[in-house]
Amino acid sequence: MVNGQDITLGLIFAIIGGCAAWMASSYNGAGGTYPMILGIVLALLGATIAARAAIATQNEERPLVTAKANLIIALIAGAAYVALVVPLGFYTASALLMLCIPIALGFRRPIFTVVSAAVFVMMVWLIFSVILEKPLPREIWLTLGSGGGA
Amino acid sequence: MDFFVTSLSGIMAIGPILAMVGSTLLGVLIGALPGLNPVMAIALLLPLTYSMDPLVALGMVAGIYNGSMYGGAIPAILLRIPGTPASIATTFDGFPMAERGEAAKALKIACWSSAIGGIVSAIALMTVGPLLARVTLLFGPAEYFWIAIFGMASVGVMVGTDAVKGILAAVIGLLIGTMGIDSLSGQARYTFDQTWLLGGLDLIVVLVGLYALPPVLQLAEKCDLKGLSAAQLRLLAVPFKPGEIRSMFGTWFRSSMIGVSVGILPGAGGNIAAFLSYNAAKNASDDPDSFGKGNPQGIAAAECGNNADNAASMIPALSLGIPGNVVAALVLSALTIHGLQPGPRLFHSNPELVGGFMFEMLLTSILIFLVGGAAATRVFAQIQRLPGVLLVPSILILMCVGVYVINGRPVDLWVMFAAGVAGYFLEKVNVPLAPIILGMILGPMAEQSVRRALLISRGDASELITRPISAVLALATLGMILWPIIKALRAKRAKA
Amino acid sequence: MNLKLTAVSAAILTAVTAAPAFADYPERAIELTIPAGAGGGTDTSARRLALILEELLGTSIAVLNIGGGGGSVGASQFMQADPDGYSLFATWNSPLTTVPLVQNVAYSLDSFTPIASTSETAYVLCVDAEFPATTGAEFLDELAANPGMYTYGNDGIGGTMQLAAERIFQAREITAIPIPFGGAGETLQNFLGGHIDIYGGSISTVLPYVETGEANCLVVTSAADVPALPSASGLEALGLGEHETLLWRAILGPAGMDQAIVDQLSDAIQTAVNDPAYVEFLATKGEVPNVLVGDDLAARLQSESDGLAEVSRALGLSQ
Repeated sequence: MVNGQDITLGLIFAIIGGCAAWMASSYNGAGGTYPMILGIVLALLGATIAARAAIATQNEERPLVTAKANLIIALIAGAAYVALVVPLGFYTASALLMLCIPIALGFRRPIFTVVSAAVFVMMVWLIFSVILEKPLPREIWLTLGSGGGA
Repeated sequence: MDFFVTSLSGIMAIGPILAMVGSTLLGVLIGALPGLNPVMAIALLLPLTYSMDPLVALGMVAGIYNGSMYGGAIPAILLRIPGTPASIATTFDGFPMAERGEAAKALKIACWSSAIGGIVSAIALMTVGPLLARVTLLFGPAEYFWIAIFGMASVGVMVGTDAVKGILAAVIGLLIGTMGIDSLSGQARYTFDQTWLLGGLDLIVVLVGLYALPPVLQLAEKCDLKGLSAAQLRLLAVPFKPGEIRSMFGTWFRSSMIGVSVGILPGAGGNIAAFLSYNAAKNASDDPDSFGKGNPQGIAAAECGNNADNAASMIPALSLGIPGNVVAALVLSALTIHGLQPGPRLFHSNPELVGGFMFEMLLTSILIFLVGGAAATRVFAQIQRLPGVLLVPSILILMCVGVYVINGRPVDLWVMFAAGVAGYFLEKVNVPLAPIILGMILGPMAEQSVRRALLISRGDASELITRPISAVLALATLGMILWPIIKALRAKRAKA
Repeated sequence: MNLKLTAVSAAILTAVTAAPAFADYPERAIELTIPAGAGGGTDTSARRLALILEELLGTSIAVLNIGGGGGSVGASQFMQADPDGYSLFATWNSPLTTVPLVQNVAYSLDSFTPIASTSETAYVLCVDAEFPATTGAEFLDELAANPGMYTYGNDGIGGTMQLAAERIFQAREITAIPIPFGGAGETLQNFLGGHIDIYGGSISTVLPYVETGEANCLVVTSAADVPALPSASGLEALGLGEHETLLWRAILGPAGMDQAIVDQLSDAIQTAVNDPAYVEFLATKGEVPNVLVGDDLAARLQSESDGLAEVSRALGLSQ
């Protein structure tokens, strides 16, 4: 039995290492030698891992994912959130995320969800916008409200 | 003696005391939120100090700094998400303990160890600071190179069962560390013509992704709809067993010394103090295999080490005017705002203020004992009562806001997300994550100092080992690599 | 806090009434980008100035530090901001006049609207007591007589400090070995430890050691002498007056800003910089106020960029 996971892992990093070394070859002087060596070492380590897995007799593969559906929900929600933070505004997107993920994962206590979303978003607002005064992506409804003048 | 009395009486006023208590709590919160770091809060605070009693302002700096170093341990133990880079080593044993239901115990050890590290460090600052500061000047680029390599050797303890994969992870970190403008030649490396990459990948952005996303995804997979009940939490009243405190004295002593030593070197970075302390504790232990599986000594070592770095990092700043890290630079600029001139005479010309600040570093460490433990168990640990499905979006939001405010750059969110997805799968195939971060921290330091050393020696590599301190450091590195091997061989022989 | 509340409520009010855009600028918080990490010289100067500006403009100013790439990362990111007056850029000269010469960046001087310069200071070259020179002229003679023998620390390859020094060295045909460090503090540490021969960096960092006698500062990169450093020669005294390079700071906006807002801001900055409290603050850092606005500022940026372009070409650093 070969360990497919390790072969894939090894090959991925062998390729990354090779690319890194190849890119480093265009850098001048000592600034290029160091990353080139690192790239080559990475490629060799990757190749070692792949080769070792190919001749191994034992298979130590563990399942990559335990609950595929939930993982995909979380990944899609996370990616959507990252994509929407800027267009919708930070707090709007965050409130949506707080409401959507629990529902998507099968949490059926709407009032609890809404209250905790409100409390949590308020807390983040207090820490980041009031205490730390950090500029965050502007809320879409503020921009629309001012007629696009700002 | 007079000086101690005057500086102590200076801060024993309502203003500084309130500032210290409040800011220690704020610091714990800042440390506990992944992505948020003390620098951000302190930078915001300092311009306001113009119109403020300087001892109040500096008290807040001390509280935020010390509190946050301990705060990082809280999510590290409860969720396996290090709040700061310095608390990565705390996850190794802290989370296994929490999984065994000993979260309260782990938090208590972290609290005590942080406080003790901070206290030792503050005492070092007050007593031998100026002396140690002069010693740090002997460390040139060649010595810094060896310190980086020495730190890198501690990767040995975190590679887990598969050494090849551990080294692979370290090399990945080193490669990430080369991204951006090479400060010695001015050329851009691995930037793919993206200007935002000219500064390289931000350590915190990668850390948050790599370390916080996998636990979040696992929480989502587990899909816990209930949360723990108050009875299941078992947080209060976990007294130390007899002899338990005594058993940690050795670890605390060792870690404090390591933390102070790393702390006084400008630019060496406190993040490695925790790794080095952890490594030392494991090497000194009779049962090194129990590390990483919930050994309380591991938490004690890491947390004591990272707090022992704090006050010590102020030593070169206060006695030489050379800031060793950003917090020290901020403190120096606060002092200049008040018309003080940093440098060798700073202390003699302003003993009340400088001495007062030193005391504040000490008192805020003691405050960790008093308020830190309660904050951790009564506030933060209560999040375990929330259903896991609510924690998933909450942590995601905190991750994103923490990452976004670093550079105000949406693309950092994608970097974080990508690092997190990669981290999730790398962990599943047994590639440890800690060496990646260690490589990112130490790689640039090693590369820049060795190239600087070679520029100074006009390319003569023998200078790297012929200077007395570098020779000692080189031997120490060798010893550190060989020691576990010798120990294992001896153990085998004893068994046979 | 009150200030902010009023600003917030003002923003909401105007949002509701949908007032014309520029009539009552500023109506919400201004974001000030600093292309350097917290705690450095540019950062402290800018944050201190921002406090005074907040009062003058009646709005809050949020600071965003974007370090990296010698300032190019922050400058590139800022360049994409809206020129509506709510995004300002507080920088030192290097990211604008030096970095585009040595790095492949997407911005140029045209990507910004110059608003006002704020303060300036010189760089300085110092040696220890053993160095065989005690005046600026002797120092340059010693360097010229021993090409490649001395190392000098600087703030980074292709940084303004290095170019400032090389500009002098080129005029005198001197070869010294540049050792780049992360900043003046690191350079000082290596200078005091004897790892490098010459300190090159900002004045305020090394000043305490001039008083203790551990550093002997011989050349400043400004044309005039610096009163705080009596032993150092200005370039005019060395006959190199035209090779002056200063470290100076300015506030800019993205290209294409409304002139009325620029005027309003430059007036406010002028008042803020000349505020006695700010002048005093600058003095503790060895800086002096110098406000140039509009075309004068643009001209200064252009002439410095041209002067340094020559140096960096000669050093083989140019893109």
